[in-house]
Amino acid sequence: MKHIAEHKDNAESIIEHAGFSFLYIRNLSPIPVEEVQYHSAVIIEVKNYDFVRLMVSSIRANLSPDIYLKPIFLLKKDTYDDAVMDELADGSIKGLDELDLVVPTVERISTRVQDLTFTNSISFEAQIITKLITLLYTKEQKTVDPFPYVYSNIGYYYPLLSVNFQRTEETVALDILKIAEEEGILRSDYYDRVYLCSSCSSNHLSYREVCPKCSSSNTTPDDIVHHFPCGYVGPMQDFKNEIDDKLDCPKCNKRLKHIGVDYDKPSVIHDCNNCHHKFQDYHVNAKCLSCLSDKSVETLKPTEIKSYRLTKKGELAAIKGFVTTTKDIDEVIGTIKYDTFKTMLKYEIERLKQTEGQSNICAINISNSSQVYSKLGSDLQRGLLKDLVSVIRSNIRSSDVIAFESSSTIVMSMNAIPNKIAKKIIGEMVSLLNDLIKTSFEDLDVLFDTKVVALDYAKTHEAHLKELITDFS
Amino acid sequence: MDELLDNYIRFLATLTPAYFVELFWFYFVFEFVRYFLLEFIVLNLAKIRAVFNKPHKEDARRRLFMENPLVSILIPGKNEGKHLFKLVNSLGEQTYKNIEIIVVCDGSDDDTPIIGRSLEKAGLIDMFIRNEVRGGKASAANTALRFAKGKYIIHLDADCSYDNDAMEKILIPFFEDERVGGVGGNVSVRNYKESLVTTLQGVEYFNTITTGRTVTSYLGIYRIISGAFGAFRADVIDQLKGWDIGPGLDGDITVKIRKKGYKIKFAQDANCLTSVPNTFRKLIKQRLRWDKSLVRFRMRKHKDVLMPTASFKMLDFFSAFENIMYNVVLNFKWYVYLLIMLSFYRPLFLNIFITNILLYTATNFVKFIVYSLYREKAHASMSYFLIYLPCMVFYFGIYLRVVRTVAYIQELFFKKSYQDPWNPRKTSVHAKHLGI
Ligand SMILES: [Zn+2]
Ligand SMILES: [Zn+2]
Ligand SMILES: [Zn+2]
Repeated sequence: MKHIAEHKDNAESIIEHAGFSFLYIRNLSPIPVEEVQYHSAVIIEVKNYDFVRLMVSSIRANLSPDIYLKPIFLLKKDTYDDAVMDELADGSIKGLDELDLVVPTVERISTRVQDLTFTNSISFEAQIITKLITLLYTKEQKTVDPFPYVYSNIGYYYPLLSVNFQRTEETVALDILKIAEEEGILRSDYYDRVYLCSSCSSNHLSYREVCPKCSSSNTTPDDIVHHFPCGYVGPMQDFKNEIDDKLDCPKCNKRLKHIGVDYDKPSVIHDCNNCHHKFQDYHVNAKCLSCLSDKSVETLKPTEIKSYRLTKKGELAAIKGFVTTTKDIDEVIGTIKYDTFKTMLKYEIERLKQTEGQSNICAINISNSSQVYSKLGSDLQRGLLKDLVSVIRSNIRSSDVIAFESSSTIVMSMNAIPNKIAKKIIGEMVSLLNDLIKTSFEDLDVLFDTKVVALDYAKTHEAHLKELITDFS
Repeated sequence: MDELLDNYIRFLATLTPAYFVELFWFYFVFEFVRYFLLEFIVLNLAKIRAVFNKPHKEDARRRLFMENPLVSILIPGKNEGKHLFKLVNSLGEQTYKNIEIIVVCDGSDDDTPIIGRSLEKAGLIDMFIRNEVRGGKASAANTALRFAKGKYIIHLDADCSYDNDAMEKILIPFFEDERVGGVGGNVSVRNYKESLVTTLQGVEYFNTITTGRTVTSYLGIYRIISGAFGAFRADVIDQLKGWDIGPGLDGDITVKIRKKGYKIKFAQDANCLTSVPNTFRKLIKQRLRWDKSLVRFRMRKHKDVLMPTASFKMLDFFSAFENIMYNVVLNFKWYVYLLIMLSFYRPLFLNIFITNILLYTATNFVKFIVYSLYREKAHASMSYFLIYLPCMVFYFGIYLRVVRTVAYIQELFFKKSYQDPWNPRKTSVHAKHLGI
């Protein structure tokens, strides 16, 4: 039994089939990606390839497991070849009447998602690794192979991983893989080597032979000719005459007859049309088509591309929850563990029942965290979080506590003050944080969202927390 | 022994001046007059001229540095890579700074291309040209010449080394006299202590180059600018379109510059040190080639100099004539002398032989000591050579003479030089065909 509910103002449709709700995204009808979490699977109509890439990527790049783990099926009528999209999706169908074919996949993924545990890690790397291994687990896949991909900045794309990064930050995927290997989650095999621009890590390079003096590629090669009888040596140009296309020796005026007998061409010389330098050994420069830098190939960064396999430990980490041993930011000075925060919240609610005071919990969320963290790397990320915490610390009372809900969300208590004042303090805090970022991190745009929830002793602490962070996922 | 000495003293007692000339005309006419008396007189004249010329020379030096023309240094050669770094470094020490260095690697089959390229990349060499196929010394020099941009051209050998004022000194003659088209530098033996044969060559180079060329230069008949160290006006050498196929291309280009009406000068104070063959065997090989080239170039290619044609020039004629006279003709004349002495003066032969040796040796000592006063500075101490001087008569008078004879015969009658692997066969074929 098929039921298609058409919405009038947009072309998205919801298809109920075999007990599952399929979100059907038609060509060029973008929907907010948050919509995905309310359905069992997504079907994307393949007509415009850019649109497909955009939709698939925004689902898989989302940080919420409710969204990124969702099964995606491509509805393709004609042949469409994008191996990376196929890897990111979970299958394809030729028409909506083939929905039965994908039902087992949807069932399997929905069941496997139940096995997963998501640990509350504040490390960006740990978060991305968790994304990768949970996706591998639900897709029943054990390899992370590099795909040669024209849309990739570094030439190779690890679909399930690289999708999390903007084009210019793709090398972060390589760092993440390295960490995952050090953690024993993945094992690697050599696959290929790429050479990347030393300024921007792009692989989109144009190689040219250039003048060693001025680096111009505007050069003309000419054969050097040696006339045996008189010993004259010069570029072919010297031997040309104006009347015919024969060659005459400028020294002895004899006509050149037979190569190897009366003359030969012992070498080639290049003439730079820009600076008129003559040379034999041209340099090879690589011009980066991304940042336009033009440098000697020796400056390029050789980078190994490996293919990876999930280890037993990796599989278990998906189910039991992944905690990094080296890269996690367990302790930022001035914070407490999130579990402790929860307990303290519970006690505060109990206290309010008796005293009728006004208390609040607040959250500050970095809404573009994946962009920010991939730009910073783990050390700078840690530095940024430390700075944020110290600013927050100095603006709240010493009896209040701070914790990380996730790598991008900081929660804190603001006890015994009215809700209005708490909101005002949070507002001031954000402007202080913006100032801090402007002075300590160049060219970094960090966007903050805030939320303040007044404590209500009629509700549980869990309900409070849910309300606090619901907007940030 | 006593009897021999007795006999010899009695022989000396019989010698009247007329009888002396009759028995030792060869020594007297050629060695004493040409190589001692004439040279001694000219050395003195040259010394006097140098004293009077001093302000003029200082002015020339001043003008050289004021104009500061670009000078192209050409270093052609095969498998010379191992010498390049040292050479290029020493060129960086030169007092004359406005130079460009062009190295041509003529079909080297060793590491030369790698060394040359890295020196080029490091900016120590301005241009490194690699010819995959060997073309011979002339073609390598011509390749470098074709890309030279300097107003003056200096030709160097990679295995030589140079005083740090050598480039300056070799350029000054161009500013002393604008009719000068080429200047030869002074070449001395660097490895004179290596073996007896190198020591003897040390003395020989001192006699024939340091002294000999000062004399011929003064007389206006200086005829060979060493490939090891020679400077040329770029416009003059461009007119000639460079060097012709060797061996003997150094002498050849000098003659051609003279024919164009330019003067050739020798700069005794522009010092270059070269390594010479360290065994008698290797020396034979080198000299056979040199001596053959004398026949090939003087008597064959440039025989027109000797003919009374429209372009006849007295000095050019005299230069070639003197060269042929004192080398080829004299060489054979010596055998005539030997034959006469053996046939007509046989009883006295031993005494004549001893006297000749004593005469030559005495002359060698006097020349060596006296002439040393005429050179500006020396790299080797004079006293080192003194004990070896008695060997010179055998080295120069017998060993080299025999080698020369063989070379002349080979070349005069068999044109052997065209088979010398020193040139690639492809070029020798054409040279032989053209008679050059
Ligand atoms: Zn770039
Ligand atoms: Zn250029
Ligand atoms: Zn020609």
